[in-house]
Amino acid sequence: MSGQENEDLGFQHRSESILNCPSSGMTTSHLPEKVSGMTISSLPVFKPSNGADPFFGSGWDPLVSLSQSENFGGSSMVSHGELSNPSYSVVLESQGMNSTSHLVQYPSDSNFVEMVPKLPCFGSGSFSEMVGSFGLPECAGIANSGCPPNFISNKEKGTERASTFGAQSQDGRETEDAGIGSSPSGKRRKRVIDSNSPFSTNKNAEGEQQKDLSGESSDVMKELDGKKLKIEENTSGNLRSKQSGKQSKDGSHSEEAPKENYIHVRARRGQATNSHSLAERVRREKISERMRLLQELVPGCNKITGKAVMLDEIINYVQSLQQQVEFLSMKLATVNPELNIDLERILSKDILNSRGGNGPIVGFGPGINSSQPYPHGMFQGTLPTIPSTAPQFTSLPQTVLDNELQGLFHMGFDSSSAIDNLGPNGRLKSEL
Amino acid sequence: MNLQSSSSNPNFLKLRFTKGFLRALMRIYRHRSKSSSSPREISQRYRRIKLAADASMALAVGSRRLWSRAVLWRIRNQVRNRHVFVKRVSSHAIKKRAQKKKEEQYHLAYDDQENKLRKLVPGGAAMDICSLLDEASHYINCLTTQVKMMRRIAEICS
Repeated sequence: MSGQENEDLGFQHRSESILNCPSSGMTTSHLPEKVSGMTISSLPVFKPSNGADPFFGSGWDPLVSLSQSENFGGSSMVSHGELSNPSYSVVLESQGMNSTSHLVQYPSDSNFVEMVPKLPCFGSGSFSEMVGSFGLPECAGIANSGCPPNFISNKEKGTERASTFGAQSQDGRETEDAGIGSSPSGKRRKRVIDSNSPFSTNKNAEGEQQKDLSGESSDVMKELDGKKLKIEENTSGNLRSKQSGKQSKDGSHSEEAPKENYIHVRARRGQATNSHSLAERVRREKISERMRLLQELVPGCNKITGKAVMLDEIINYVQSLQQQVEFLSMKLATVNPELNIDLERILSKDILNSRGGNGPIVGFGPGINSSQPYPHGMFQGTLPTIPSTAPQFTSLPQTVLDNELQGLFHMGFDSSSAIDNLGPNGRLKSEL
Repeated sequence: MNLQSSSSNPNFLKLRFTKGFLRALMRIYRHRSKSSSSPREISQRYRRIKLAADASMALAVGSRRLWSRAVLWRIRNQVRNRHVFVKRVSSHAIKKRAQKKKEEQYHLAYDDQENKLRKLVPGGAAMDICSLLDEASHYINCLTTQVKMMRRIAEICS
């Protein structure tokens, strides 16, 4: 146990330094100062000393989650430079666990992203088993009281994380977990104590901890050096249940409403992490995504960049389509389908099967789009030409057209007149 | 889900639209008299055909989309209003006044692109910008199908 004593001694030194700043000691900003000098592979270990028990109780969860997630991911061990609770020492090594053999003292990084050592026993065993292996009755006591639900949730979360982020870079995962683990400060203490009480009752707890998670992570990301990360998660039921243990009183992150289908967004590096700006960013991205879809639909808008111009194009296109519908319905109104007895059958067969006749018509389409301002301006000019082009139509409606145009013009059917103006052109083109 | 609906949509949409539209056309053509030369009749038929086109399109889409629901709702109200024609005469003036008031209220953003789009897309007044764009894309999709099919019909008929 000499090793353990040594560890404890070293650990006590650290814990003392931490205890000196009890309230602020857990802030991430203070961590680099304290941890930089330490070379520890941080582990979620219960400190056997009495003084720091509250620390353990409060800080256990994140580290447990951290370790688990790392374990399940099968990641290698790296020292965790900035840990929420650097008081956690490598007591595990002294316990003679197999996993400790894997533990190596890596140089501590100020980089928050470096991860937590892996402990195979974490992945397999239950929390009680793990605690039992430590041989720390205190741990067991604390664990059994408040932590099992947290542990289970965290363990599940760890698996979930490992599975979901399997494809992602290790750094990303680490950042995330680190973010979760580091947010600690003094909040963790309060949070875990609170978590036990409302844990089973609140449905909002899930939402709150989601808030907590996203809020914390966003805070952390702001302070991180190095990794630029953006993770968007779709909250699943599993994830929420796993995080049920963690709850937050942090009311500033209220933009993440406790809805089941809310999408999690992480703040990117160098971006504002205000709740409002986060929500706005999500909204802006949604809008830009829809604009892209629209860009594909509207012909000839591939080169357009910019919302305003794109919107103009969309509006013009919709207007032209509606005008085409009106024109075609007017055309159908004037047409006389006397010959078609089995109109429906013939039409349905021809229409659904005919694709070759689409060529000239397709050519007509863009013509309308480009000439959209054309008909309005040209109407007066081409009005006299319409009777001349009337012979293009069937003989029956020829006289009708003249009368109709006058009648319609008086009635103020601008659209129909424009349509008739386009009609001859379209007819010509289709015949060509 | 959007992709699926859009990819499977064209064929089903075409089928449903053409069926309904052709049925309506048949009905309209049956009712027309031999002397169909008066512009009034033609304009009336034009209106009916246009209504049939919109209605069959909206029915083909169903109530899946906001805009189709708005179109169907509007058509239903039109049908109802026809029966209440007597009352409408007096309410018409009231309607105009209300419209003017509304225009004045929205005067600041009247020429805004967003509002233009709202006016174009049926039922767009009640949507936020995100869903407006979504509905607009689907509406454009359906409009293009409609135009295609109507052109084919017109081609065959004439």
